[in-house]
Amino acid sequence: MVANRSDTEPVQIEIFPRRLLTPETAQRVLNEIYKEGGVTRIMVQGPSLSKVIPYGPGRGLPIEENRDLLLEVGDQALELRVKVGRIWLELENEEYLEGVKAACERTLPFPFELKKGTLFHTKSTISDYAKYGDDIKDKRILGLVDPKAKIERDLAVLSDERE
Amino acid sequence: MAYTPQYYPGSTSAGVNRRKHMAGDLEKLRDISDMDIVAVMGHRTPGADYPSTHPPLAEMGEPDCPVRQLVEPTPGAAAGDRIRYSQFTDSMYNSPSIPYWRTYWAAINCRGVDPGTLSGRQIIEARERDIDNYTKTIMDSEMYCPALSCMRGCTVHGHSLRLEENGLMFDMLARCEMGDDGNVYYNKDQVGVPLDQKVNAGKPMSEDEAAKRTTIFRYDNVAFGGSIGDRKFDEGLIALHHVWERRSKWGFRPE
Repeated sequence: MVANRSDTEPVQIEIFPRRLLTPETAQRVLNEIYKEGGVTRIMVQGPSLSKVIPYGPGRGLPIEENRDLLLEVGDQALELRVKVGRIWLELENEEYLEGVKAACERTLPFPFELKKGTLFHTKSTISDYAKYGDDIKDKRILGLVDPKAKIERDLAVLSDERE
Repeated sequence: MAYTPQYYPGSTSAGVNRRKHMAGDLEKLRDISDMDIVAVMGHRTPGADYPSTHPPLAEMGEPDCPVRQLVEPTPGAAAGDRIRYSQFTDSMYNSPSIPYWRTYWAAINCRGVDPGTLSGRQIIEARERDIDNYTKTIMDSEMYCPALSCMRGCTVHGHSLRLEENGLMFDMLARCEMGDDGNVYYNKDQVGVPLDQKVNAGKPMSEDEAAKRTTIFRYDNVAFGGSIGDRKFDEGLIALHHVWERRSKWGFRPE
């Protein structure tokens, strides 16, 4: 049987849950997805969780609820700075798609949408040039973090070993 | 026969609820204490005297003015209270009231107020003891659901965001939390300053109850218009089209 192009090409998918995820649920979903294998890139997005009150009479007061939120996936831990509402994934190929869907169904207690498309940008933008220069060794970094993010804080590289 | 104003057209549940809000014919669902309301508003310490910006009107010796003789001042104005506010955000997921209807309620039913409407939030300004009273009426009534509405004086977001897992409207400042007993508690005042004691705002409405009580038209509950499936134009929309057409063609002439 001849494999067609869509079976071997990487696919990008968006998981859009009906509700915003708690850090615990987000971690559970991502770990289940990661265990299914075939994940090349993961990006989580959602409304920001500021550490201090940004405006108004209480400006500068700490928001304790938003402190010390960690997202542990695989062998890495990242500080969680958003309320997870959207997950972008790049999979090695189409065959991992069913596993991701099953992982979401197992872990998400409410409905979700799963869409396929081109999500991460493929060419270096002006912002990428300003941030990384014209010699990007690992192209997978493109589209993973927004221009203002700090790579050492907001990006983690996971090993290939899975439990 | 006494005249009964009809504030809003339509026979849908959203239309009926809009009429109820505008007429001030509100069902009381809970009883939050005056002290708790004052604590969440955060303008003064609960139990403290009302600060004033001018002496009581009775002591000021007002000029001889027929309008002043005709209009009785509100208790807050008579006492010379400061102007203060309360501001609410309402989730688009079937929150019982929506900003325009909060404003209609305030403008029609409350005296001495300055309501302001934005897309997902609504503020009412009034003399301090008046706004205390009006805010209590709102929070005790069906205009308020502890999960889908929230008093937010700054960082007034959440209206168009998805709900959190526990059904609360998202709030970056985490002013409210869901208690183990199923009640929603304010642990911060409306601008995010922590409270000494949590304020119990009561149990949230169930999804079905919120869908029944809401004044929001939504395609997945009561659709405002359209012709797909069961959708049809609400009488409110037909009336709106009528007003718009008359206004556009001839300037507004209701006849």
